[in-house]
Amino acid sequence: MKRSLLAVLTVSLLVLVLVGGVLAQEKAPKIAYISGILDPFQVLIGEGIKDKGAELGMEVFIAEHPKAWGPEVQVPILEAVAARGDIDLIAIVPTSQEALIAPLKRIYESGVEIITVDTYLGDGDYSTPSEWSFPLTFIGTDNFQGGVEVAHRLAEMIGGKGKVFVETTNPDVSSVVERVEGFKQGISEYPDIELVGVEYCLDVQEKAQQQVAAALQANPDIVGIFGTNLYSAQGAYQAVVNAGLKEAVKIATWDATEELIQALRAGQVDLVLAQKPYEIGTLAAEWAYKYLVEGQEVPKRIVPGFFFFTAENVDDPEAQQYIYKLD
Amino acid sequence: MGQTLTSKREKNALVWFGQNWIFLFLLFLVILFSFVGRGFFSPKTLNNILISSSPALLLAAGEAFVIITGGIDLSVGFVRGLISVLSAIVMRDLYALGYSPAFAISVGIIVGLGVGLLPGLVNGILVAKFRVPPFIATLGMYGIANGFALRLSQGFPISFVPPQAREIGNGFIAYWFPGKGISFFAPPEGISGAEVRHIVGIIPYSILIAGVIIAVFSFILTRTQFGQHTYAIGGSIDAARRAGILVDRHLIKVYMISSFFAALAGVLSVLVFGNGAPTQFASSLELFAVAAVVIGGASLMGGKGSLTKTAVGVFILSVLEIGFLMAGVFPFYRYIAVGAVLVFAVIIDQVMPELVYE
Repeated sequence: MKRSLLAVLTVSLLVLVLVGGVLAQEKAPKIAYISGILDPFQVLIGEGIKDKGAELGMEVFIAEHPKAWGPEVQVPILEAVAARGDIDLIAIVPTSQEALIAPLKRIYESGVEIITVDTYLGDGDYSTPSEWSFPLTFIGTDNFQGGVEVAHRLAEMIGGKGKVFVETTNPDVSSVVERVEGFKQGISEYPDIELVGVEYCLDVQEKAQQQVAAALQANPDIVGIFGTNLYSAQGAYQAVVNAGLKEAVKIATWDATEELIQALRAGQVDLVLAQKPYEIGTLAAEWAYKYLVEGQEVPKRIVPGFFFFTAENVDDPEAQQYIYKLD
Repeated sequence: MGQTLTSKREKNALVWFGQNWIFLFLLFLVILFSFVGRGFFSPKTLNNILISSSPALLLAAGEAFVIITGGIDLSVGFVRGLISVLSAIVMRDLYALGYSPAFAISVGIIVGLGVGLLPGLVNGILVAKFRVPPFIATLGMYGIANGFALRLSQGFPISFVPPQAREIGNGFIAYWFPGKGISFFAPPEGISGAEVRHIVGIIPYSILIAGVIIAVFSFILTRTQFGQHTYAIGGSIDAARRAGILVDRHLIKVYMISSFFAALAGVLSVLVFGNGAPTQFASSLELFAVAAVVIGGASLMGGKGSLTKTAVGVFILSVLEIGFLMAGVFPFYRYIAVGAVLVFAVIIDQVMPELVYE
């Protein structure tokens, strides 16, 4: 009696699991996106995930965008998304390399796959086992590679010779440090180009202006400047204009915000590297689909390309999609 | 008889040196860097120092008032960022609505300076009426001002202000073109291309604005009753009360002066860069302001300090920065040099009076 009851129970449980499995198979996977802050770049990643996800027949849930950058704002949003219980995969922009490890790991262990986009956990290397190696992949820009490519483009603009200068923000922020290191590496391939200095403005524009003006005074033959973000590029531009060198000096910078695109149109900067937030999103959705539905293995690191804006192409119709702005 | 005379003369010389060493030190730095800094000795470097020091001069001048009363204002850096963002938003939006650039810029400046009095009012009331230590009261405002600035700007610079703002911020009273003479208020016409770089600007507007306002307040500090009361409060707050000075009201005014100067620095930065930027945490603007005031001979215990010497303190920091850069010294060593000069300045101020009174 007891044994037959156990058998019936076991069989019915098996059937349930099988039926459930089949049903789950047929149900489209559901993925969620949690951004780091409400800004065009982060929102564009979400647009990419939404469009590609819909194309592949997945359900996409875009969580509320945090109003400020930081784990204390982001983690509650993450917890709320996880609490829904119907999400198969979360694509997230972690706002802290350290503080997001524990909450994301908890969610991962409850059966939700994680992809980090734009920023990463730990040192970003998920290929060797570590406390933070549980996400499927990190999809985001390679700052070092970007620096190398900026160097090549700038070298081309100045005819492969002359003195160049780097104005950057902080000596202790990995993303900009990598941009500078990449730039140095790229420039080192040109024997006729000399890097005459790297200065840190700590994101203070007048410091950037002061430092570039002094560098121009010490080396009046500087022909190219790489400003690693808006503040350093803006300060550099002001110094160049005040020195009457607007035509003689090319300024390269990073991130296609509307401010910098406007500066490019006004001739204040000459080259803007655009990361591809929309493509980061479409890659995230694509790989989520390949993993969840097709069972493919995901590379631990996926690097989208760059787009370079110059005065010539800034008004091209096909270039407009790379400006960080929302329609 | 003869000996006392010499020692008196020596004493006087020592007193004079103790009081004026920073002028000599600035002169020494200028001479030193003229030899070791490539291209340092030139009108362009002078303009660079003047233009880029203007906001720092304003922050330090306001800070000096507070430090003379024996307080400290840690909020100046972030008040500057808040007002920079706020006045840029006003300018941008009015301009976008189709108002004239002159109107948009003026209203932006007025709103910025007006709102800029509020943090000082709050700081002053907290310090004077609620007896909150200045360090804590202004540390609170440091966070509040930064929070508002980030809320308003979402952490990004506010661009698209009228382009004329930049022309004011980067203009000069006169322009000298070697061989062709001087033109006032606008660069000489008909000069283009590489020739532009030979134009020498004379007295940038930004330093003119900062200089005039600091001169007025320096007069107030040294020549008026308001100034005397400021020193008296810093010397001994109880004695000042017994002498009938309305200490509470006076302190509130002093903190308002400080945040007004910070607001002015914020507005000025919009005019120079054509955008409003929140102050970044790493920039430590308030600490550099305090450093300049202390290098200028003020005591954190209050009762001592001068705006002229504070300005020299700002220029010393600026010359160190630019001079080392032009001499090709690696940036990190400059941080060390600035730290060393600060400590050196305080030691001189500590040691000199003792030598004199020995």
